[in-house]
Amino acid sequence: MRSVPQAGPAARYSEVSVPETGRKKKRVRKKFKIFSAREGVDRPLFYLILVLLVLGLIMLFSASYAYSYYYFDNSYHFITQQAGFALVGLVLMGLISLFDYHHLHKFAVPLLLVTVLLLVLVKVLAGTSIAPILNGANRWLYVGPVNFQPSEIAKFALVLIFAHLISINYHKMGTFRYGVLPYLIIVLLLAGLILVENHVSATVIILAIAAVMLFVGGVKLRWFAVAGGLVGAAILYLVLYSDKFSYALDRIMGWLNPFDPPQGVDTWQTQQSLLAIGSGQALGLGLGQSRQKYLYLPEPQNDFIFAIVCEELGFVGALVVILLFALLIWRGIVVALNAQDKFGTMLGVGITAQVGIQVILNIMVVTNTIPNTGISLPFFSYGGTSLVILLCEMGVLLSVSRSSSLDKT
Amino acid sequence: MASGTTLRMWRRTLILLVLLIGVGFGLILFNLIRLQLVEGEELKSQSLDQSLRTTSLSAQRGSIYDCNGNVLAESASVWTVALEPAYIEDEETCRLLAEGLSEILDMEEEDVYALTQKNTYFTYVKRKVETSVRDEINAFLQENNIKRGVQLIEDYKRYYPYGDFLSQVLGFTGVDSQGLSGLEIQYDEELSGTSGRLVTAKNAAGTDMPFEYEQKIEAQDGSNLYLTIDSNVQSILEEALKQGIVDNVVQEGAVAICMNVKTGAILGMAVEGSYDPNDPFTLADEALQQEIDALPEGEQDKAYNNALQKQWRNKAVSDTYYPGSVFKMCTGSMALEEGIVTEETTFTCTGATVVAGETLHCWASRHGTENFVQGLCNSCNPYFMWLGEQLGAFTFFKYFNAFGFTEKTGIDLPGEGATLYHGADMGPVELATESFGQNFSITPVHMITACAAVANGGYLVQPHLVERIEDSNGNILSTADTTYRRQVISEDTSSRMVSILHTNATSGTAKNGYVAGYRICGKTGTSQKILEDNIDKTKKHYIASYCGFAPADDPEIALLIFFDEPEGESYYGSAVAGPVFASCMSQILPYLGVEPIYTEEELERLDTTVESVTGEGADTAKTKLEQQGFTVIVKGDGDTVLAQNPAGGEKIPKQGTVVLYTTEDAQQETVTVPKLTGLSLSEVNQTAVNAGVQIRITGAALSSGVCVSQSQSIAEGEKVKQGTVITVNFIESDTVM
Repeated sequence: MRSVPQAGPAARYSEVSVPETGRKKKRVRKKFKIFSAREGVDRPLFYLILVLLVLGLIMLFSASYAYSYYYFDNSYHFITQQAGFALVGLVLMGLISLFDYHHLHKFAVPLLLVTVLLLVLVKVLAGTSIAPILNGANRWLYVGPVNFQPSEIAKFALVLIFAHLISINYHKMGTFRYGVLPYLIIVLLLAGLILVENHVSATVIILAIAAVMLFVGGVKLRWFAVAGGLVGAAILYLVLYSDKFSYALDRIMGWLNPFDPPQGVDTWQTQQSLLAIGSGQALGLGLGQSRQKYLYLPEPQNDFIFAIVCEELGFVGALVVILLFALLIWRGIVVALNAQDKFGTMLGVGITAQVGIQVILNIMVVTNTIPNTGISLPFFSYGGTSLVILLCEMGVLLSVSRSSSLDKT
Repeated sequence: MASGTTLRMWRRTLILLVLLIGVGFGLILFNLIRLQLVEGEELKSQSLDQSLRTTSLSAQRGSIYDCNGNVLAESASVWTVALEPAYIEDEETCRLLAEGLSEILDMEEEDVYALTQKNTYFTYVKRKVETSVRDEINAFLQENNIKRGVQLIEDYKRYYPYGDFLSQVLGFTGVDSQGLSGLEIQYDEELSGTSGRLVTAKNAAGTDMPFEYEQKIEAQDGSNLYLTIDSNVQSILEEALKQGIVDNVVQEGAVAICMNVKTGAILGMAVEGSYDPNDPFTLADEALQQEIDALPEGEQDKAYNNALQKQWRNKAVSDTYYPGSVFKMCTGSMALEEGIVTEETTFTCTGATVVAGETLHCWASRHGTENFVQGLCNSCNPYFMWLGEQLGAFTFFKYFNAFGFTEKTGIDLPGEGATLYHGADMGPVELATESFGQNFSITPVHMITACAAVANGGYLVQPHLVERIEDSNGNILSTADTTYRRQVISEDTSSRMVSILHTNATSGTAKNGYVAGYRICGKTGTSQKILEDNIDKTKKHYIASYCGFAPADDPEIALLIFFDEPEGESYYGSAVAGPVFASCMSQILPYLGVEPIYTEEELERLDTTVESVTGEGADTAKTKLEQQGFTVIVKGDGDTVLAQNPAGGEKIPKQGTVVLYTTEDAQQETVTVPKLTGLSLSEVNQTAVNAGVQIRITGAALSSGVCVSQSQSIAEGEKVKQGTVITVNFIESDTVM
């Protein structure tokens, strides 16, 4: 059972505010510990992360080796890279989990500023070797040996700044000035910058995370109605007045009929994904036995890796993976709700929501439940920095779990 | 609680959890169930389809053997050369391939180059090249280090080692080794076997995937056919027909069928003119090809196709004709069976019979009063018209039907011709004409099958060519059993007919088919052809045939000889087909081991073998040979015999002459061969004695009756040694229908 936390370390950004009496708030300053290893991490959460990471690496190897061999003359190209990043990520996760998450308050605004800067940089340096244009979009930054998408950072930056603001202004969430406006500005800024990168999927995820956090953070429901109305109106506008409408309609027709798409719409990837999923049937072709990964399914190690999981492990295997993600989400939410304070709760909810939204959208794309858009599958899809960032966020979640009142065994 | 989560957070988070897990994962699971469990099978097969490449593995077509195990048709490996233009690496390789392949395959370099430029994964260059050519190509590829772009696929080509031998019966195959004609198409399923498949998994780039589900389904080679055909018999028939066509200026080809009367097994089926099944699309008749070439452009194709159809056509089973007087053996059987006549029943032939106001003539002016045996031996039309009348249309048709003329014989060859006839309701004129074999059309196979029934005790058997079928490992799959279709006449009637037909071949109109010692039975036939497109109405076209069997005491072999449009000195069956029948039977029966039984008269004229006396003393040798009944002439004054003519082992007539040479000089003496044709037996004897040669007589002269010499084995004017034996063939001088 959840118990009332012990009088924890107070902070500069203490959520314990003196009831407003018209006077200036009295803040109690207390130093946080840098590390808080006293309380253990939530073990179910930790094990779930490890199991998903190992399973993800195994499936990445299986999905990638044919493609890797064909293009790099080396079956281990992707797996060695990814395993390296996984190790780095695990170390960082461990360190961060030891790190008292309250210190993150201090990073919220700087990280947001850095993120905005990086996003602007991508646009400014578009076409250079630092921010090359790939497939008509530029969303990558190449800095020395490391390349990453600022939008990945933006997701965490958003979670952090929202957690920060909601936790300190929780009681004013009902007002427009404190409960809507700052978030609106931040989310529109980030989403706008990502949208001009032509990165629709990341934009959608940013908006979804924001919506989840504001919902949990207590924003009045009518604002959601207003936002929903605005989004609807925007879509209606695009449908009625934009010249991109016919293109979108073709895309939708291609989505509905992936095996008989309108002319000019390439649904090859979706077709091959569906063939892979179907081939798996109930029990799968067996680990390593996918046929579709032999250059039929383009880049099987990336966004469509779940199709290979379905093909090789069958419905049963897919169900296990989905169950593991569901358990991760459930445990993440449990950890969040049992956090020491609202900052921890909001961080936990944000991070868990981000993983959950990505998993659901990714599998929906792979199964052609929604139109194809580039969303990677956490723990599974190839992408070094993305994995490191994910594990860092898991570290934050574990850190939150340390201070929670949960039964962690 | 104040610093921690609020109740609203709890509530809203749980709502989200339900939404995420419930709705999100719910939708996903729904789709996964649909895709994997419901549509899985179909999607899987689609995925397999795109990744599996199936290469067909040809099955080796079965061979065809004659009854002695000689190969008549077999398949050997050849290779198909194909290009994979999509996989040829660069322009330089294209040029290299064009140059190399065009040289090896004897093609135009530019044509091959054009193939390398095609935007495709696969294109044929040349099919059915020999293994040696394939080896050359492989060497070329290795030399130039070309690893991809050329495929060599195993295939089979059909070989017929004896060329035009038995060609219409064997048929031939097409480029895909499918049977197109003859036995090749009749037994196509058995011969072709089942092609195998090599299923390989390819990745999207077209290269092999290392996969467990690759599988090879081996081709099941075709079965082998063992025919009832005996190549020796077949050769005898083919040779005899060729000679007969030349001798009688035959226009439309000829047929000879040799059949075992008891089992229906076909021992030989010769059809002239034949073609080479190794090259079926070339007209065997070069003169005809030149004629076609001379035609205007637009008519050539049609003429060429007609000519091809004609040369492939098996006249023995596909062409129908009026059997003519040969059919009298059937009418006669009916009359005996029904008890309408006995051998002694007489009828008077006045040269013609008036039936329903129509005068139907006999072939001769008049035969006078004759009994049944004489009537058949005279081949008297009025006698048989009278028999027909006595039988009545109903009974006549009942037997006509029973003899199998209204249905197919069931021979295992394609394209059996449909017969034309009048039914049981036929009028008196039809009945009269059908009684002597006119006015209805049947195939040669029908006739010989009916003849076999007359000979074998009355049983109508199903003719067949395939004795047994064995699979590629030698296991027997099926054996032809004798199929008795029905009994047409009683054994008693059959034996009486055999006896009458034996008389006919010994002393009647069928005498030209006689072979001493072999108890031949036979019937001649001459029928007029009714041609729809006959432009010259005054010119009559005939078919001359002879159908018979032997030996009379236990008939075994039936033989039908058939010449279409002989335009030589005679068109009568007895004159044209009879000698050919005799020539064939005189070779076939000894070959098949039928023991000759000679009459005393025959024995007198019978040939005997000369013993070799070379190296012996001249006097002893002379005495020895004289004791054996030979006349001996000694040439030279030496003491030992240096040479003799005829040589030891040769056959000469009894009481013939043997010349013994005792000096070298004496051997140089020669005599000139005189003209020995167109003479009577005694004239031939006299001429030969005068010229210093001796003769061996074949044909009708060995029996009794008036006959005339028709051919001699060594041409007039040749220089030969004294005493050389010249074979002279005799035929009946009064040619009959």
